[in-house]
Amino acid sequence: MVVGDVSTGTELAIIGAGPGGYVAAIRAGQLGLDVTLIEKDAWGGTCLNYGCIPSKALITATDVGYEADTAEEMGIHADVKVDVDQMTTWKDGVVDQLTSGVEKLCKANGVNLVEGVAEFESENKLRVAHAGDGQGSETIEFENAIIATGSRPIEVPGFEYDGEHVLSSRDVLDLDRVPESMVVVGGGYIGMELSTVLAKMGCDVTVVEMLDDILAGYEEDVTSVVRQNAQDLGIDFRFGEAASDWEKRDGDIVVTTENEAGEEFRYATEKAFVAVGRQPVLDTLNLDAIGLEPNEDGHLETDNQAETDVEGVYAIGDVATGPMLAHKASKEGQVAAEAIAGEPAALDYQAVPAAVFTDPEIGTVGMTEQEAEDAGFSPAVGNFPMRASGRSLTTGNDDGFVRIVADEESGFILGAQIVGPEASELVAELGLAIEMGATLEDVAATIHTHPTLSEGVMEAAEHALGHAIHTLNR
Amino acid sequence: MPTEFKLPDVGEGVAEGEIVAWLVSEGDTVEEDQPVAEVETDKAVVEVPSPYDGTVKQLHYAEGDVVPVGNVIVTFNVEGEDDLDATPAPDETPAADEDADTETAEAASAASSGSGRTFAPPSVRRLARELDIDLASVSGSGPSGRITEGDVRAAAESGGESEARGEASAPKSAVTKVTDDAESDEPKSAVSKVGASGAAAEPSAAAGREKTLAAPATRRVAEELGVNIDDVPASEEREDGAFVSEAAVREYADAQQAAQAADTAEVRAGDAVSGEREERVPYRGVRRTIGKQMAESKYTAPHVTHHDTAVVDALADVREELKPVAEERGFRLTYMPFIVKAVVAGLKQHPYLNSQLDEENEEIVLKNYYNIGIAVATDAGLMVPVIRDADEKTVPEIAEEMRDLIEKARERSISREEMQGGTFTLTNFGAIGGEYATPIINYPETAILGLGALEERPVAEDGDVVAKETLPLSLSIDHRVIDGAVAAEFANTVQEYLENPSMLLLE
Repeated sequence: MVVGDVSTGTELAIIGAGPGGYVAAIRAGQLGLDVTLIEKDAWGGTCLNYGCIPSKALITATDVGYEADTAEEMGIHADVKVDVDQMTTWKDGVVDQLTSGVEKLCKANGVNLVEGVAEFESENKLRVAHAGDGQGSETIEFENAIIATGSRPIEVPGFEYDGEHVLSSRDVLDLDRVPESMVVVGGGYIGMELSTVLAKMGCDVTVVEMLDDILAGYEEDVTSVVRQNAQDLGIDFRFGEAASDWEKRDGDIVVTTENEAGEEFRYATEKAFVAVGRQPVLDTLNLDAIGLEPNEDGHLETDNQAETDVEGVYAIGDVATGPMLAHKASKEGQVAAEAIAGEPAALDYQAVPAAVFTDPEIGTVGMTEQEAEDAGFSPAVGNFPMRASGRSLTTGNDDGFVRIVADEESGFILGAQIVGPEASELVAELGLAIEMGATLEDVAATIHTHPTLSEGVMEAAEHALGHAIHTLNR
Repeated sequence: MPTEFKLPDVGEGVAEGEIVAWLVSEGDTVEEDQPVAEVETDKAVVEVPSPYDGTVKQLHYAEGDVVPVGNVIVTFNVEGEDDLDATPAPDETPAADEDADTETAEAASAASSGSGRTFAPPSVRRLARELDIDLASVSGSGPSGRITEGDVRAAAESGGESEARGEASAPKSAVTKVTDDAESDEPKSAVSKVGASGAAAEPSAAAGREKTLAAPATRRVAEELGVNIDDVPASEEREDGAFVSEAAVREYADAQQAAQAADTAEVRAGDAVSGEREERVPYRGVRRTIGKQMAESKYTAPHVTHHDTAVVDALADVREELKPVAEERGFRLTYMPFIVKAVVAGLKQHPYLNSQLDEENEEIVLKNYYNIGIAVATDAGLMVPVIRDADEKTVPEIAEEMRDLIEKARERSISREEMQGGTFTLTNFGAIGGEYATPIINYPETAILGLGALEERPVAEDGDVVAKETLPLSLSIDHRVIDGAVAAEFANTVQEYLENPSMLLLE
């Protein structure tokens, strides 16, 4: 112990107050545990402050403007003016409301909030260094700890974030004006979501992607809808190129890329936005002190209660293995909290949904047809094109489809891929169907509201059963 | 490490097989490719080889069980360690009642098909954890074998032993209860007692309701099981009325069946006093395969049978003449090879008789090859070995091939391949006796020719009745593809060849 340190004890210390950490804290508080939640930056973590929430706010705002601007077919002639300051204020207001809500909820559930950077001192002790000179540090003795430190953007060598020329997603969400042009390095979901926002606000966007398509991991017919729409918005794609260097020139910058053959390409742009992925934040924790080591991918391995190899130390969210998704973090946080409280909780969900807020949106859950086949099922697949949906046509957006993958023999729904308006919402029904062990017939026989997009889910199930009404059956 | 071995696809399109015999026992050491079981499928008995070196940890079915392809039949320890007692197998199915076993196994496999995935709602998963029940070993009574809360509770009450699981819907337990209560003359009260989930409501309030709340899938199940959902005891009372779960529907249906079974048992018990009047033979294996195929053929292809009689004196003479030559060469000459050749000649001239209807693509597939199936009666039932490319073979070649194939069929050592790919079938019921019959087409072929007994019959010739060797022909056709006139023309051509066997020299 350092002179001046304060030492406290807690039943459960949680490091990181993102959607994993704060949810774990609240749940543990509800279950009567003495909880200490440690956050170095902002309550709500990346999701609320620099990720999901501000990006969705901007996506919605730009959608409103873009749709008003392009609704002439519907007889709407608008002269849209975007006040970026006002938009930012509104967005920040949303974020503030949520983060202060998190703080209030934690307090109301008896969670002790501590601000600072935590590292392990031993298997039952954390040291928390408070921000600012002379603020000192404190040692927290814990019975159990949950590591929920989340992730940070991966930097590309030579493209260190400077907030001015080379931006991270956090910088892009904080822009005070729309740049003339932007080179986006990386066609993953963050790159694509923000490229869409920028393009809709009039920025000239070029996406440089090392692979030969956007949104790696999604099926080609899913990505092609998004890619086509992005191109229609004016986004340029440069596939098979990796960003290698950049330099300043006349106030702007020039980004150099290289293809596999070693050919170089140069793009003059106002700014570059690097979105090549995120990595878990584990290097600040002094994991050596408790004998814990990340695996090859940089994640912590956990059991079905989110516990690591060290007894009493749990890992949830982006630092744990699995997809980096806020809702996965929250569920793991709940399970970890309940497990620590002695409840028989376990991570046994059948499907983790995922959404990409591009235009149109992507919503997926469970298995693709290929994955179902690989898992030993004989898949039955049902499709419903959005252009056959009355509601879809009335939104003015009819790109995309609903696809349901089921086990042919039993009819159990195994997965779904949805591209189209509100895909992120529509996929929830199929997530529930998978969790409940619902069959195609269950979904097909459930009356869906007309006219809604959700009818497409019912139709896709009917299609898989060979009796779709509004599309031709196989 | 225990490794599960699933019943492989033992032939194209085969959905299930009967375990005729186990060639290994639990605890035996096996080598890769060593046969572990004899499985009867689609008219052939095949040996299923082990894919691993190891020891047999568990055999999942009893001999005589019919197993769907893809179900686990054997668990192996692949390192060869004998840890039979180390871990109790999660789904030990063998028990006295074979039918119940099959049901349980099928349900379990449905609920946890593919990558061992178990289908149960999250609330049920949580309950299973609370009660310390391994969901993978619970058989589900829900739709497609989904595991319900009741299944988990039943498993917990039965001490976690798999045989007892799912008893809520097992007919056996229902039989006992119903029989116990037989005096009461009130089947509905018996039904409520069968319920192991504890969810069954007051039976009197449940029966004959005007309105019943139920999930769509439950209504469908009720319909399938022929149960009036308004008669099923309510699982719970909700604000809008009585709610019936699928488990309740199944329970009710099972109980009703059980009541019937009890009646039947009583009747049979009564019979037993005066001696066996009925015997029950399992409808299995080849008999069942034949039955399924016949039904499929009969109900898919509209059959029309054309009858005719060929006067085959000349053919009888030719055969008599060649018989000793054949015997010298070491084979017995029957009429069949000549008939095969005559049929092939007929098929060449009337290609629609040598075709198949591709229903999906709405096309008639005319086949330019001539694979003639010969129906053979064996102890196990009808089998149809195929003589491939009969048009390219001589009469002696056909004779020899037929002899081999028929022998193999009778010994049941014939392979599936030797019975597949036929384009037209001959059935010689006349070998046993009789004139005409209505052969059922060997679907998806479109025609079959049945042969009556070749013997002397009266024939009218120039105003006189004379005795001649005649061969009655019964030709069944798929009337979707072939019209009566074409059938008659084909029969005429075949007859022409049979009546003038020298024409076969041109073939």
